[in-house]
Amino acid sequence: MSALVDIDGLTVGFRTADGPVTAVADVSFTVAPGETVCVVGESGSGKSVTSLSLMRLVEFGGGAILDGRLRFDAAAGPLDVARASDATMRGLRGNEIGMIFQEPMTSLNPVFTIGRQMVDGLRLHRNLARAAARARAVELLREVRIPEPERRLDQYPHELSGGMRQRVVIAMAMACRPRLLIADEPTTALDVTIQAEILGLIDRLKRETGMAVLFITHDMAVVAQMADRVVVMRGGRVVETGPVERIFAAPQADYTRALLAAVPRLGEMADRPAPEPMRIPGAPVPAARPSAPPGDAAPILELRHLTTRFPVRTGMLRRVTANVHAVEDVSFALAAGRTLSLVGESGCGKSTTGRSVLRLVEPTSGEIRLGGRDITDLGGRDLRRLRRDVQMIFQDPFASLNPHMRLAQQVAEPMRNFGTARGRELADRVADLFDRVQLPRSFLNRYPHELSGGQRQRVAIARALSVGPKVIVADEAVSALDVSVQAQVLNLMMELQADLGLSFLFISHDMAVVERVSHDVAVMYLGRIVEIGPRAAVFADPRHPYTRRLLASVPIADPARRREFAQADTAPIPSPVHPAGYVAPRSEYREVAPGHRVLV
Amino acid sequence: MAYLGNRLLSLVLTLFLISMVTFAVTHILPGDVAMIIMGTQSNPEALAGLRQSLGLNEPLLVQYGRWIGGMVTGDWGTSLVFREPIGPLIAQKAAASALIVAMSMSIALAAAIPLGVWAAVHRDRWQDGAASTTALLGVSLPDFFWGIMLILLFARVLGWLPSSGFVHPADDFGGAIRHAFLPSLALGLGLMAHLTRMTRATMTGILQQEFIRVARAKGLSERTVIWRYALANAIGPVVTVAGLQVGYLFGSIIVIESLFNFTGMGWLTYQALLNRDIPLIQATVFTIAAVVMIVSLLVDLLYTVIDPRVRLG
Repeated sequence: MSALVDIDGLTVGFRTADGPVTAVADVSFTVAPGETVCVVGESGSGKSVTSLSLMRLVEFGGGAILDGRLRFDAAAGPLDVARASDATMRGLRGNEIGMIFQEPMTSLNPVFTIGRQMVDGLRLHRNLARAAARARAVELLREVRIPEPERRLDQYPHELSGGMRQRVVIAMAMACRPRLLIADEPTTALDVTIQAEILGLIDRLKRETGMAVLFITHDMAVVAQMADRVVVMRGGRVVETGPVERIFAAPQADYTRALLAAVPRLGEMADRPAPEPMRIPGAPVPAARPSAPPGDAAPILELRHLTTRFPVRTGMLRRVTANVHAVEDVSFALAAGRTLSLVGESGCGKSTTGRSVLRLVEPTSGEIRLGGRDITDLGGRDLRRLRRDVQMIFQDPFASLNPHMRLAQQVAEPMRNFGTARGRELADRVADLFDRVQLPRSFLNRYPHELSGGQRQRVAIARALSVGPKVIVADEAVSALDVSVQAQVLNLMMELQADLGLSFLFISHDMAVVERVSHDVAVMYLGRIVEIGPRAAVFADPRHPYTRRLLASVPIADPARRREFAQADTAPIPSPVHPAGYVAPRSEYREVAPGHRVLV
Repeated sequence: MAYLGNRLLSLVLTLFLISMVTFAVTHILPGDVAMIIMGTQSNPEALAGLRQSLGLNEPLLVQYGRWIGGMVTGDWGTSLVFREPIGPLIAQKAAASALIVAMSMSIALAAAIPLGVWAAVHRDRWQDGAASTTALLGVSLPDFFWGIMLILLFARVLGWLPSSGFVHPADDFGGAIRHAFLPSLALGLGLMAHLTRMTRATMTGILQQEFIRVARAKGLSERTVIWRYALANAIGPVVTVAGLQVGYLFGSIIVIESLFNFTGMGWLTYQALLNRDIPLIQATVFTIAAVVMIVSLLVDLLYTVIDPRVRLG
């Protein structure tokens, strides 16, 4: 069977302020009809540029196809996309090739109704009258399982959730029954349960319509779930191509092996009670760690019935008419030298809980105890002192470092602030910290923009360590990093824990990473902990329906363990906003095993 | 509806504050109203009599009360210079000014939006540079300079348009437009430059959004992508800034109307200030403040039509 897409020697360049840059060089692969090809790679690998070239959309971003052939088997006969006229390309886009993108929140035009945006393409390519196009749009929305499609047509994008918007974008891409669907990181910005729905939807549409799918992703677990064949890219070149089973079972290229090794696989920790370092091929196996103290040791950090609500004010007098119940009756204890992970989806209250521990947000009620001392109402000098003991690492190292300050200054600042060191001693301590997080001392006088994401996150860790904290709150600290870099940073954190007896409150949405690094896990939903316990118990024997659903939604980086994702759950998520007088019920737990408690 | 009620209430409160400030300032200023009316050479007894009859000897609060009472009931007093009731005088001049403000705003928007879009689409290329330079030229030179240049070119050299005067649209519509054109253009050039930069900046941001890429991926033509999908998003911020500039325009008309001898609100304010016509100063300042506030309210209401995400409340 001849290929639907045959990319041969694609080379794409960009004009930049520093002269031309080649983003993709000599890339070749094919996509057969009805096949799903996953292009996988880390940031800067050229995977998105390749997919945009196939639509000839690179030229709108200042890029140009410099060389190569992009043969596409169009309905009217094969043609070379690289040399087709603009008019021909407009005829293909949205018609024979559909495309969906990463950010469902910004993929739809905010000032046009859903209907208008869907009808546009249908009228253009299918010459449908307005009424016929609307009728077809309703059908398409129904096909992607959007409830009440007639009503949605007259709604604006902001009235829909992220998952719904992504389904609208998919419906738009499917409007003219494309022969090829290009999906560029379509689930990266979505919660894992919604990701499962979208992956299931794309797979079903593929089977029903026989279209081919070119799926761009950085996530090996998604590759294992979706791909027939895999193209591994790095630095603008193809590293390896092959059937998905072969790529996972017997990767040929060193890079593919490294990439696969660094990916944690959900379930692989089933019979191991303690956290383990991430695998990094080529790097020495980290030394055996002294085992962490038992979970029932005297806690360093303890939350008792912590509740944080944000008032909603309305009217001329800005009266509080409702409250967002961000954190509702949350209790847990974290012992020295251990890692407690807070997991859950966006809006579940895990970040607010983490920030409450540092008193960056003021709790409404409840108690925060650090080293046995109630710190809930500390102010002034005592509050400053508390911030020495509890430090935070944020998600985005691009935003959490000051772009105008040298790195050494930024790491020194907390020590200077607390007066713990000065002069020569301060400089030595900063240099030691750089050694500690494995950054070369030559970086001391650099600025953040000169570093990669992983290096910046190391600086952020050094800064957090500088005042000798007992507890570190890591809020999605590795989520923005490429998988190989993520593994290194996680290993560093685990090493520091073993050496310094640090406690981590590890906030994450990534269940596979959490399984690998945690001693204990707390699952949050709608502001409450619904299940908490030793990591092994929660992962092996999840009791709360939400925990089960969450775990069942995680794709596993193993093509032999593909999951059948259930049909979309279209029930709206309950709102955490309640009117002003609302009395929230207490969180009551049932102990199902020692330390393993489930919300009743 | 509750929002509108709140806004109107706060508008009334603000106008009340403005009325107090204008009243206080004009009374604290040195100079005696009675003397301005009768001249410095007048007889002291006659002056005292006039003060008595104008109520200038009463406490300031009582004077303010009488003035604001008159303003509310429609009796705005009599201009000392024009010796006419102020209410009808302002109504007539405000209509004249509304004509050039509306015309200059139309000229500015009609030129700024295409120019700004053009610059954004060709970002960092010569078209962008040309548009930016034009805009910079417009912003950096004061409007009276443009006024003088326009008079020289269109009235003196080419003789196409009249250089001064005002014609009422009801009397001669074409004549009214022709007389208003040059002052409107002089006012509009600075505004246009400002709005071009604004349009360019907004469009540049929007053209990088993902929904623009999605629109292209649907196969829509560049014309549709830019002039419908992108511009529909840019128009809101541009209109908001344009609305806020109405206040700036009312400030600028004082100079421009005097330059073109165009008898509108600006000209009237200038005459009032020049002749220390206190009741007229108070009334003109108050009117301009009220117009600016009402226009900004209208712009906010218009925003809900332009951008469905904005819900006022």
